[in-house]
Amino acid sequence: MSRARLSAENLPTSVRVVLVVLGLGVLLAVPDLARVTPLSFATIHKGLLFGLAAVGLNLLLRHTELVSFGHVAFFGTGAYGAAVLATYYEVSSGLVLLAGAVLAATAVALVVGYLVAGHLDIYFALLTLAFNQVLFAFVVQSSFFNSTDGLSVRVGVDRPSLLGLDQLLVSAGLDPVQAYNYVLYYLTVAILVVVVLVTWKLVNSPFGRALDAIGQDRTRARFIGIPVERYVWIAFTISGIYGGIAGGLFALLQLHVRPEPVLFAFVSGEILFMAILGGVGTLVGPIVGGVILVYLLDLARFYVTYYHALTGIVLLAVVYFLPEGILGSLPALGAAIERRRRDPGLVRNDVETVVTSVRRSVRRAVTTVRILVFGVN
Amino acid sequence: MFESLPYHALNGVYYGFILFMIAAGLTIVFGVLGVLNLAHGELYAFGAFVAFSIVGYLTGLVAEPTGPVTALIFGAVVLVGSLAAAAVLLPVGATLEAAFVRPIYDRDDVYQLLLTYALLLILTDVMKFVWGAKPLDVGVYDGLNAIPTTELFGIDYPTYNVVVVAVGLVVFGWLVWFFDRTKTGRIVRATAIDREMATAIGVSTDRIFTLVFAMGAFFAGFGGAMVSIGPGSAYLEMGLSPLVLSFVVIVIGGLGSLRGALVGALLVGVTTQVVTPYYSELELAVPFVLMVVVLLVRPEGLYGTWGEIE
Repeated sequence: MSRARLSAENLPTSVRVVLVVLGLGVLLAVPDLARVTPLSFATIHKGLLFGLAAVGLNLLLRHTELVSFGHVAFFGTGAYGAAVLATYYEVSSGLVLLAGAVLAATAVALVVGYLVAGHLDIYFALLTLAFNQVLFAFVVQSSFFNSTDGLSVRVGVDRPSLLGLDQLLVSAGLDPVQAYNYVLYYLTVAILVVVVLVTWKLVNSPFGRALDAIGQDRTRARFIGIPVERYVWIAFTISGIYGGIAGGLFALLQLHVRPEPVLFAFVSGEILFMAILGGVGTLVGPIVGGVILVYLLDLARFYVTYYHALTGIVLLAVVYFLPEGILGSLPALGAAIERRRRDPGLVRNDVETVVTSVRRSVRRAVTTVRILVFGVN
Repeated sequence: MFESLPYHALNGVYYGFILFMIAAGLTIVFGVLGVLNLAHGELYAFGAFVAFSIVGYLTGLVAEPTGPVTALIFGAVVLVGSLAAAAVLLPVGATLEAAFVRPIYDRDDVYQLLLTYALLLILTDVMKFVWGAKPLDVGVYDGLNAIPTTELFGIDYPTYNVVVVAVGLVVFGWLVWFFDRTKTGRIVRATAIDREMATAIGVSTDRIFTLVFAMGAFFAGFGGAMVSIGPGSAYLEMGLSPLVLSFVVIVIGGLGSLRGALVGALLVGVTTQVVTPYYSELELAVPFVLMVVVLLVRPEGLYGTWGEIE
């Protein structure tokens, strides 16, 4: 993990500025790209939102080294917060809905965070999972949340209003559905940029360093006077708020919230894997991971019959070959390719390494089977 | 009888033993290898599908039961078929461990989770490829219930449930005997307690890990086979909720503890089945509330012994 962080920080400032501008440019151009290429706009948007939640999770994972397996709880709370406001209180302003989502998620994150802050490792993961499932069970079986059918985020048949900007576009001659989606997308991008900047400031602040210290050794952190539980609690709540924002935007995007896609524990796992896929040691890696994983899970089914296996193989590749995640491995990968371009003889060495390791593991497997079956080699 | 509390409690015991068979595999794999195997639920589903094929084939060879004796033979055939189905999982588990899990023991926990999640996805599609996406029911439930058991005592309760409880008890007994009384079992426990020390006295940890993973797969598959021969059918998504529930079970019991898994499974099984008829809205929440309470009050679980199988 630390190696990737160093490599990202070792890039010269000019290169980083170019990368940031490039990334922003791509983000802003997505609606146009989607129009001229077969890329799905809605799926990328959804991926960005899950990526935003994964950025929040990564705050815990990267700095305090806590694995949360229940992060979709805050995503779902945010989505349901918006849906409840729209359905029962007839709130039609998109920003108020979003504020409601954030408030709901904050409240839940405060409670859950208080209860789990003192736990570590697998217990932390399983406790967050448990709270996630309690919430899921509660929502699925409560008529207030309309059980598995979920709630609509519309007031009557109208979509929520987005500061009147969508109306502006409609009067300029755009299709209302398209106008709504575009405005929502750019709102998402704006929020994403702000969140990434805030996170960047946060992890480089004394508070972020304290979280690093907690992640490395809690006892030592306590010795030097860091109030460990309280800091973990705060970090947990912040990461929950990210999830809430993402969930609120997700509700605005889908206009209907159902429990399975936004609250089920396995979606929590997906958020966790987005962070690893994109690169735990990087700031924006989880967003990249979010887009890629959502794309794989949502759209691959239209192209391949066995899309689960496809996703599985991608994840296997990440585990074995890109342990720093996609973004985190880019610098090392680039250097390796550059070296091989200069000296093609290295490629033969690579092939030899692969062949010998496969041969060795097959031989070991045969030995093991013989010993297990016959008792001797 | 059918609406009374003892009946629900009995159903809870049956459900608890199914959970125990799944959770037992999960807990020994976690206790020895330190890997929380997310693909465990798929191994359970795999067992159910294999049982559909094998038990279906075997029962096709014998006649439908007509009297108590033929019913007994029929039951024996079904049980042998289930065992054979679970045995298929032994090489599957061993291969999975040797090929995929072994290279990443010294990596961060999250990578192990990611890897087993990838295996979960791949296994799902392997099953879809072999058996198709439709639920499959082997249809031996009625034949099993033709064996007279509870009727002898004047109670009307499905024989199938009695069989599952008996099988669960045998599994528990065998596991306790294996870890307590056999040389291999003691070596496994020694490896769980201290890997380095075990290596130093000449134990091949690689082999032990393969064996333990294969055992975990076997019991998951056996649990799946037990469900498959019951009133339910085998379907692709069947592994998800038992997986999550067996997390609950092993946390309540204490990670890596066999007795804990049994007590936890029965606790979860009985409370859900007893509470559900009266407060149906609590059905899904009960196990997790139990788990939260146990974790907050006694974080190491009821029989918590870290890294030691007991």
